[in-house]
Amino acid sequence: MAELGRMVATKQVSPVEVVRALLDRIAALDPTLRAFITVCADAALESARAAEAELMAGRVAGPLHGVPWAPKDLYSTKGVPTTGGSKILADSIPNDDSTVVARLARAGTILLGKLNMHEFAYGPEGINAHYGDTRNPWSADAHRIAGGSSSGSGAAVAAGLVPGSLGSDTGGSIRIPASLCGITGLKPTYGRVSRAGVLPLAWSMDHVGPMTRSARDCALMLSAIAGYDPADPTTSVLPVPDYGAALTGDVKGLRVGLLRAHFTDAAASEVRAAVEAAAKRLEQAGAVLDEVNLRLVTHVATASAAIVASEALAYHAAWLRARPQDYQPDVRERLRLGAFVNGAQYVRAQQIRALVVREVDEALARRDVLLAPATPLAAPVLGERETTLGDGRSDVRAALLRCTRPFNFSGHPACAAPCGFTAGGLPIGLQVVGRPFDEATVLRVVDAYQRITDWHTRRPAAA
Amino acid sequence: MLARMEISVESLKRTAALGGFAWTDAELEAIRPAVQRLLESLEQMERLPLGSVEPTTQYRVL
Repeated sequence: MAELGRMVATKQVSPVEVVRALLDRIAALDPTLRAFITVCADAALESARAAEAELMAGRVAGPLHGVPWAPKDLYSTKGVPTTGGSKILADSIPNDDSTVVARLARAGTILLGKLNMHEFAYGPEGINAHYGDTRNPWSADAHRIAGGSSSGSGAAVAAGLVPGSLGSDTGGSIRIPASLCGITGLKPTYGRVSRAGVLPLAWSMDHVGPMTRSARDCALMLSAIAGYDPADPTTSVLPVPDYGAALTGDVKGLRVGLLRAHFTDAAASEVRAAVEAAAKRLEQAGAVLDEVNLRLVTHVATASAAIVASEALAYHAAWLRARPQDYQPDVRERLRLGAFVNGAQYVRAQQIRALVVREVDEALARRDVLLAPATPLAAPVLGERETTLGDGRSDVRAALLRCTRPFNFSGHPACAAPCGFTAGGLPIGLQVVGRPFDEATVLRVVDAYQRITDWHTRRPAAA
Repeated sequence: MLARMEISVESLKRTAALGGFAWTDAELEAIRPAVQRLLESLEQMERLPLGSVEPTTQYRVL
């Protein structure tokens, strides 16, 4: 996005040409990938002509002027259907943009369409019975999942259908598809980016953030969307730093803790080796590396399931009573589980959350960032139920969520970025976790890693 | 802690009804194993010394 914005600003490319080229790619590749739910071809071309006219008149909105993007289809977009990947909201056309969509429009971006997702964001596989199962662009041998819930965002960015997206992340829904599709995805600190106008899954765990090809592009999008919003009471009034300026390429002296138990040690062998190698590269670049264990994360799966199930049921109860047949089966089942979590159990889960927040804060008191796999496995085949991790057999769904969910629970910023490939040619994702509201350091570390490696520049053959 | 007894469809039906949900026996039977697993894992939380821990809502409004 940074490079495209520069080329538009210097009139090396026309936004109209860029949009036309992307629409051609979508027409050619999306019937297989199923990354888009809605393509706004006419509106995008109209926006591109307007952006070009502004440019020719000497008015540039910023570094994203004339750059196309597409959000996951749970961001309200004025006049454009916002389905949440559901049949229930298939005909829902909002009257207003969500706060972050409006901010990106003011930054001069061009909305290309809306992207596929797990129905109502309630699943890490990224499957969708209503709009088709998104296919991972790296899956040459079989239909592998793109990961979810922001599956369309992961596949579309990886396949070059769009240079950037916004996903949402309640248990890993930005970082899981970023990991499985070989792109860079940032879940900011809880409270850093407004969720106003974004369909909720679980209010106390929901985060929104960018999905792009590099840390530099994530920094650019985050700069445009971050900051206080009176429409979202959880947003912070802390000033938004210059994330681009933080990308110095220098990690000398930064203290980096490699998360061992539950994370790296539990990953599949190829993932473990790639993450350890990434840690070593950062150490060679001057970071001070040590190892750390988080004792309480073993309780996160249960506690976060209790919280998400309860909050999700609260949002969906009326539809679940009136239109249960309109949910896809796995989402309907997960929503129904919420009816069996009682209030005391919900509060217990929030007590555990307080302890986990404290434990992660303590680990980061002596370190600048923590490293872990983003997912402990590469992209599974669609329908695969079990996998083998470093500590034995695991349910695929639990495995996908294992390394990301602790930081939804704790609210810390975390970024997924490619750090290698399996022997079968599937991307492997690294996760960098930082202190609350210190996205700048997280992005600095990922950017520095991307300056000394080329994993993030590789493209699937299908693209 | 005692091991949890197997949960019946009837007990699920009563709990669901308290929440205003009228699910059929077949629908409840389909989710019964998942509910059983969830409740067993929730019981594990009882083993943690959480008595005086203030629950969080995660709001970090600064």
